[in-house]
Amino acid sequence: MTTELPGWVPVEHRWFGLDRRQLKPALFVLVVALLLIYGWPALNAVVPWDNPTRAGDVLDLGEGATAVPPVGWQLEDGALTRDNTGVSPTNDQVKLVKGGATIQMTGAAFTGSAAAFLSQVISAEDPDANISGAPSTFTTSSGLVGVVRSASGPGGDELLAAFKMSATSPDNAPALLIDASTVPGEFQQYSGEIDTFLRSITPGASE
Amino acid sequence: MTVTSSPAKNAQLASIEQSGWGTPYRFLQPHNPAFWIYLIGVGAGAVGMVKYFGPGSSTYRVALTSGILFFAIYLIPWLLFLRRQNRYTAQPGGLLATGFVWGAVAATFWIALPANTALLEIWQKLLGPTGASTWGAGFSAPIDEEWSKALGLILLIALAPRLIRSAYDGFIIGAFIGLGFQVSEDVLYAYNNATSTFGAGQLESSLYILALRGLVGITSHALFSAVFCAGVMWILGRAQGERHVVRGVIVCLASMFLHFAWDDASGLFAGNVLLTVVGPYLILMPLALVVLSVVRRMASSTERAWMRDLLAPEVENGVVDQPLLDAVSGLHQQRRHFAKLVGNGRRARLLVESAGDLAHEIASSGGEETPRVAHARHELLRLRGVTP
Repeated sequence: MTTELPGWVPVEHRWFGLDRRQLKPALFVLVVALLLIYGWPALNAVVPWDNPTRAGDVLDLGEGATAVPPVGWQLEDGALTRDNTGVSPTNDQVKLVKGGATIQMTGAAFTGSAAAFLSQVISAEDPDANISGAPSTFTTSSGLVGVVRSASGPGGDELLAAFKMSATSPDNAPALLIDASTVPGEFQQYSGEIDTFLRSITPGASE
Repeated sequence: MTVTSSPAKNAQLASIEQSGWGTPYRFLQPHNPAFWIYLIGVGAGAVGMVKYFGPGSSTYRVALTSGILFFAIYLIPWLLFLRRQNRYTAQPGGLLATGFVWGAVAATFWIALPANTALLEIWQKLLGPTGASTWGAGFSAPIDEEWSKALGLILLIALAPRLIRSAYDGFIIGAFIGLGFQVSEDVLYAYNNATSTFGAGQLESSLYILALRGLVGITSHALFSAVFCAGVMWILGRAQGERHVVRGVIVCLASMFLHFAWDDASGLFAGNVLLTVVGPYLILMPLALVVLSVVRRMASSTERAWMRDLLAPEVENGVVDQPLLDAVSGLHQQRRHFAKLVGNGRRARLLVESAGDLAHEIASSGGEETPRVAHARHELLRLRGVTP
């Protein structure tokens, strides 16, 4: 039977008041934890993105809905129609990045109009953001009608667009949010590509 | 108080020494470096938790509150179930709670969340968005999550080296760490699901996650972690004759494979619509339960031997008879056989529990005769209908 007193560290095992016998497992845990917490991000930082969009690429937004991405942007998230991955329009995620510009698309289930959806997004995400006064209407080439609002601040410029993915019965259709943002002073540089991209959005095949 | 010397008594004392049974657990150990690492991990995890939920806590308050409430209720049957598994050399509640908190706070929000985020992005870069959405979760979670939970076991061993000896100790503690991780992750999913609809229908969203995660909860972190941590204990070999490195590595890899297969079921069963839908439930879930059962049976062998040695003098004295010893130190099969023998399921359960009480008191007293041991013995004899 052990004769040790709980909490009493024999002098030969003491190190600055700590029990040296438990130092090894404690350090092991700390090192492995730090490797997982900081090792992967460090590796991630040195692995470059290499998934540029090419001419002819079409984004799959689910149930036949599509968009044509601008050429030469990095597709960091999202599926192309040729991937045939069965995208769901209510949890679709797309991320396109180029220089200081990012376009993010988020599909969601929402009952109501595109304008109501955008209001819900703004109130949920950042009700105090410097969003421009009134939303304006935006119509895509395929006839989808959405609403657009812009914001500007020290962090950069942002354009929020919301669509309901049906021209005939929009209220019950999946919602799509597009958040295009750039670092300060660069929005103008990308506005043409963003505008063309928004106009390329088409509703589902059932339309 | 006398401790008579006999082969049975010597075996009893040896089993108490080897199992660490009855050793009290104290969380507050300022002299122990593992205690400080534990505090750092849980502290950083708590900060991570506040950072994650804080900004949206007012917008997504309903989802967060209902998620916490639903999964706190969901936790109750799990705790009752795991309490039943915590037999043989039962671990103290404080030690299990320490493991649960590590799983719920440190393993999730300190380690797994940032590690998974970075590793998933690496897979997105290497496999492309489509490949990563198919395989990324299964290539990331089994590494980050199984390791982050198992680190809790390593810390607990350093905090309670005498209490955590056998593979079964790892199995039980792993299950509690995993359960903490699982519940924390469930609340996070309830929150995330509400954010995906930008706050619309938050209560319905939490109920949906409760139904979804509750159903698949059987094949989740508690199971993966119990298996993985039993494997870690075999690798470490902390009990006499329990060092089985190859077995330990195979068991750890089996746990990681199950985790991978569950996360990437759509990739594994790609091309077959029927299998993609039913495969996780008809193939992976039974497979996981079989692995769990085999590992549990193997892990419990040392504990069962300790239990037999611990009660050996009581068998000699006629306090515990052979069928009861077989039941209290046995598996479900032996207990079922004992119930048949007794002819009354409830009485059989009470006898087994009472014999467990006696074993617990003997271990807590270090094999000495104390009033509590005498009382536990008297209670068992009363239940058996034997006049002392």
